[in-house]
Amino acid sequence: MMQKETGYLPKRYNIKSVKEMTSDVKLLRVSSKINPLPGQFIEVSIPGIGECPLASCSFNKDYVDILLRNAGNTTSEIFKLKAGDKIYIRGPYGKGFPLETCGKDILLAAGGTGIAPVTSFIEYIEKNRKKFGKITIYFGFRNKDYILLKDKILMWKKKFNIRLTLDQKSPGYLNGFINQLIEKDHPNVENSVAFICGPEIMMKAITKSLNSLGMKNNKIFWSMERRMECGFGNCGRCTIQDVYVCENGPVFRYDFIKPRIENEEHANEVKE
Amino acid sequence: MQKVLKKKELNNFIKELMSNYEIIAPVKNGKFEIIKDPSNMELGKITIVPAKEFFLPEGETLIEFKGKKVIKTHPENKKRIIFGMRKCDLNAVKIMDSIIKDENYLSRRKNTILMGIFCEHPDEYCFCNSMELEDYYDLLFYPEDDKYYISVGSEKGKKLVAKLPEAKKEIIRIIKNFKRVPDKSIEKHYRNKIWESDANRCLSCAACTINCPTCTCFEIYDELSPDLKNGTRKRGAASCQLKSFSTVAGGKAFRNSRLARFKQFVYHKIVYYKKRNGRYMCVGCGRCLRACPPKIDWTDTINILTGMKNHDAKRNRVSAKKV
Repeated sequence: MMQKETGYLPKRYNIKSVKEMTSDVKLLRVSSKINPLPGQFIEVSIPGIGECPLASCSFNKDYVDILLRNAGNTTSEIFKLKAGDKIYIRGPYGKGFPLETCGKDILLAAGGTGIAPVTSFIEYIEKNRKKFGKITIYFGFRNKDYILLKDKILMWKKKFNIRLTLDQKSPGYLNGFINQLIEKDHPNVENSVAFICGPEIMMKAITKSLNSLGMKNNKIFWSMERRMECGFGNCGRCTIQDVYVCENGPVFRYDFIKPRIENEEHANEVKE
Repeated sequence: MQKVLKKKELNNFIKELMSNYEIIAPVKNGKFEIIKDPSNMELGKITIVPAKEFFLPEGETLIEFKGKKVIKTHPENKKRIIFGMRKCDLNAVKIMDSIIKDENYLSRRKNTILMGIFCEHPDEYCFCNSMELEDYYDLLFYPEDDKYYISVGSEKGKKLVAKLPEAKKEIIRIIKNFKRVPDKSIEKHYRNKIWESDANRCLSCAACTINCPTCTCFEIYDELSPDLKNGTRKRGAASCQLKSFSTVAGGKAFRNSRLARFKQFVYHKIVYYKKRNGRYMCVGCGRCLRACPPKIDWTDTINILTGMKNHDAKRNRVSAKKV
């Protein structure tokens, strides 16, 4: 393992290109050799504005792709940046997808911007294709205007079994949620490991479907979103009970994180 | 072997240290301050506010922006002595050491000598004896009659008292707590409804975490100079009792209810930290209880949950009325 990084000094990088994905999502390609492992995250910032934790959306030694949704104070400023502008990054942080799952069939599922960490894993698989078995990838988006990384998905279609479904009905596309599609497809999950990223309500539904196919929770991994402020287990902002998402995650085996999430959800459900 | 110092010599002893160190000690308004005159020290009572600001100052600069350049700032390297910390505060520093690992903190910590004092007068909120505290100090002063008997805990401490005579006898005392939390096995009680009665009274005001000596959670924020060319990235305290603590971009708060936030405080102190570090994060100083406007006493709640209600909760309530 690398020595634990505990500094706040970001490095400055050049933005190579900016691609508009939807009205509120952009893909920034940053020239950087930090090459986060699949599922790791970075702290992206603009001096004077602020920092935000974002998943790396690539596995490449020459650049980092950042899939950015215009959602908060900092992201809305980053959203204004153009090719040639500078951006500041520190990291990578956290534990990504367990790469020792080599040899297994892989089932990936991503909803919305949850496609970012999943993409980094797909690109890792592309570069290490022989290490993995059958690859099945599920994508879910709101409607056809919200499909992210269209070019990449088209390219992956040639290599992997891609299943794309939209929440809203649209001609030429499958309709429904990912969990419904999985139940319909009824894939053989005997030798499979699943990696999911998306809103927690979606991850829960997919997990339930996978369970119904016979997949155990210890074969299912969630990539979690929390407020990672420092990135290395000091600030305490991203904890789920006794677990630091930044340090112990953001990718967790579901049987490990499930009781912790459920306890906090239980406490959230109280009427005030 | 302990060293000995006459009580009336204390101010002179401190004054001498001032030539080489910045001295921080409890003063009359219930907090730790940098003192210039030792006669301003107030050693009789536990302070309202802990000394954590001398390790994690509010709004400290982490990095600076000069145009497009980012520059690491280095913390001040003043040699400091904090005098008058009690066992609870001293243990709190040990806990902070286990959490905060950045250069700013480490440099301040390295340059700070902990000169503690034995706690003679714990009050009705104190329960440090229930929290399995350790001896953690560079020097510890035990008051006895007209003298202080000083235990030495480190080489750094040893140098400070090198000139003092050795004591003829050893004085080690045990703090007499009023309050007890004998059984802290609350992990299985996370979903117990009793927490709701506490949380319903909670104002989410964060007084508990502000005054807690081991609450070190923080936020990182940027400030710009008026000409928008330079700026700083700073660190300030954050409280798990506020909704914004766990809110992510887009507005989702992962601990949305007061109940979830209140339990986060208690369980972090008693359960979560212990799972990771093998000891309680609470040092039993009682500051959260003293500071709480609606006087929520989670130690009572723990005693009720663990069947220790009759043991102590009643006694505590009597004392609370007295206040």
